[in-house]
Amino acid sequence: MKRAAMLGLGELADHRLVICLGPGGVGKTTLSAALALNAAVGGRAVDVMTVDPAPRLLDALGLSAGNSATQMVSLAGLGAHRGARLRALKLDAKMTFDALIERHAPSAVARDAILGNRIYRNLSTALAGVADYMAMEKLIELHDDSTTGLIVLDTPPAREAIDFLDAPRRMLELLDSRAVSLLGVGRSASRGRWSMLDLAARAVLAAFDRLTGLHLLSDVQAFVRSFDGMYAGFADRAAQAQALIRDRQTLVVLVTTAEAERVDQAGEFIDALSAMGIRLGAVAVNRMMAPLPRASTIAKADLPAALKHKLKRNLDDFGALKRRETAALAQLRERVPSGTRLIAAPELGREPRTLDDLVEIARNLIAH
Amino acid sequence: MALPRLILVTGKGGTGKSTVAAALAMALARRRPTTLGDLDGRGSVGRLIDARAKEHSAIEVITITPRGELEAFIDRIVPLRAVSRRMLQSRTFGYVTAALPGLEAFLMLERLRLIAGKAALEDRFAVIDAPATGHALELLAVAKGIRKLAPSGTLHRLSSAVEEFLIDRNRCGVMLTLTLEELALRESLEAAAALRELGIECIGAIVNMVPPALFTAAEIAQLRPLEAHARLAERRRELSEFAERAREELERAGIAVTELPMLFEAALGAEEVQALSRRFESELLDTPAPEAESTNR
Repeated sequence: MKRAAMLGLGELADHRLVICLGPGGVGKTTLSAALALNAAVGGRAVDVMTVDPAPRLLDALGLSAGNSATQMVSLAGLGAHRGARLRALKLDAKMTFDALIERHAPSAVARDAILGNRIYRNLSTALAGVADYMAMEKLIELHDDSTTGLIVLDTPPAREAIDFLDAPRRMLELLDSRAVSLLGVGRSASRGRWSMLDLAARAVLAAFDRLTGLHLLSDVQAFVRSFDGMYAGFADRAAQAQALIRDRQTLVVLVTTAEAERVDQAGEFIDALSAMGIRLGAVAVNRMMAPLPRASTIAKADLPAALKHKLKRNLDDFGALKRRETAALAQLRERVPSGTRLIAAPELGREPRTLDDLVEIARNLIAH
Repeated sequence: MALPRLILVTGKGGTGKSTVAAALAMALARRRPTTLGDLDGRGSVGRLIDARAKEHSAIEVITITPRGELEAFIDRIVPLRAVSRRMLQSRTFGYVTAALPGLEAFLMLERLRLIAGKAALEDRFAVIDAPATGHALELLAVAKGIRKLAPSGTLHRLSSAVEEFLIDRNRCGVMLTLTLEELALRESLEAAAALRELGIECIGAIVNMVPPALFTAAEIAQLRPLEAHARLAERRRELSEFAERAREELERAGIAVTELPMLFEAALGAEEVQALSRRFESELLDTPAPEAESTNR
């Protein structure tokens, strides 16, 4: 095993964007923050965007609840190089969506119509996928900022493996002409373009509305209609997002742990990425157990027999866990496409709480 | 502990929700027929049950998906099957339902209500492997939102019924899982507080993967010459100490605690889930099941 220069400063120097994705509970946020901090200490201007950070990590990054969504992280005492800068951002999906509407709305009236619409007010906070899309939107905004050298993105916890990367396409589909024309165009206009299926859908939707008591149809129509003239702006941003994900300077890192269930989920991510034609840059296995001590040293030690017996048992116990990990890792290796590097992040032995802990995690990364 | 008809198992990612749900279902199945379900549509929890073990004939494994529930709902309100199929196939309809906030999540809750009702009638239990804490709490809060959105009609009536179901401690309760990590402990305490706010019963917390204590502090002090072994022994002792502290903090917050041992096995399969289920049994066996209900709710 050798030190992995690739996620250290050497190789990341060629990248402008690192996207960390993976199943829930594997330490994506911690690893994203560690990579960002390490690059910053090395002298780059780095932005790290986290979505759902744990309170302690928030503390470490100075992003406690109540603080503003963007925070400069002090690098004092970390031996940072000249030009080092770390900005931590907490994604606020609602605010980002509002800003997007403000930018693309053709008029103040149109803007207010959307912002006040009942569907929009719920859509922008409740609908799965909107947060994903907004993370993508914010990303483009950060990427356009030429003072930023590197962006590290911690993706939202995904219900489906690639929700996040697929969000721009789905958002476009939602706003695409067919749904828009069906709901947005008046009864008399362009009837000829509608299929029987659409007409049936429209009739049935009206029935659905009445039966459910939601009375939403008119709101949905108003909502879709108010997007008139904004579609081009959205489509443009979505195209930019698609290009950014596939850019040569973008590194997609799949984060997982060496546990059977997580490896299964990681495999789903790998398949989904490949189906979308997205290049997987690296697979990072987080919280790998440290190598175990030798059993032979127990026998030689000058200790009571009972204690030696306990040591032996402890070693056997952890040995079983290590074998479990090794088996999961072997399974993972089978799923990782050739040419994609596997990197291990050894267990810290304690919960990361400080910036020093994060730096240690980043510096301990090893190629596996 | 008194158990409701339907138990939702949730916790931080990686704390062993599925394993705990499967073990709990196995323990309950030795007393009553039990339904084991998941909400992720992957059926992963069912795979933890060994079909050969004989008590499994008492376990029914189901999977609940948003799409499936939407289809069932449309079938219910649109009596003509040809029309409802056509409606579901329409992309436009897909967009509109996507824009109806929380509809699919709500329909999953409605399914849980029906499962609990059936369990009460047939004197069964149901264990649901729920999403991780954040998503699970969003899901449980959705009924209130739907009631506000729909001032009348079918959904309004259903949302009131779902809300009643969620706060009925005979029918519904949540079991939290955690491992020996500060973050997992914090998340459990926060989840318990959020559940209290929603009026939903928190049955208890399962502290998972607790290694049996092995070393005293004095013994570890003797190990200084064997540095690597000392570290490993210390790690184990820290975990045991954390387990104690977690129990204290959870109990102080009014949450009943059950510990499940760390299984030092190279592979985790149905046999290990079985072993965990025995641990549950010792805690749950002496509890009478809630009375079978005569009224159809």
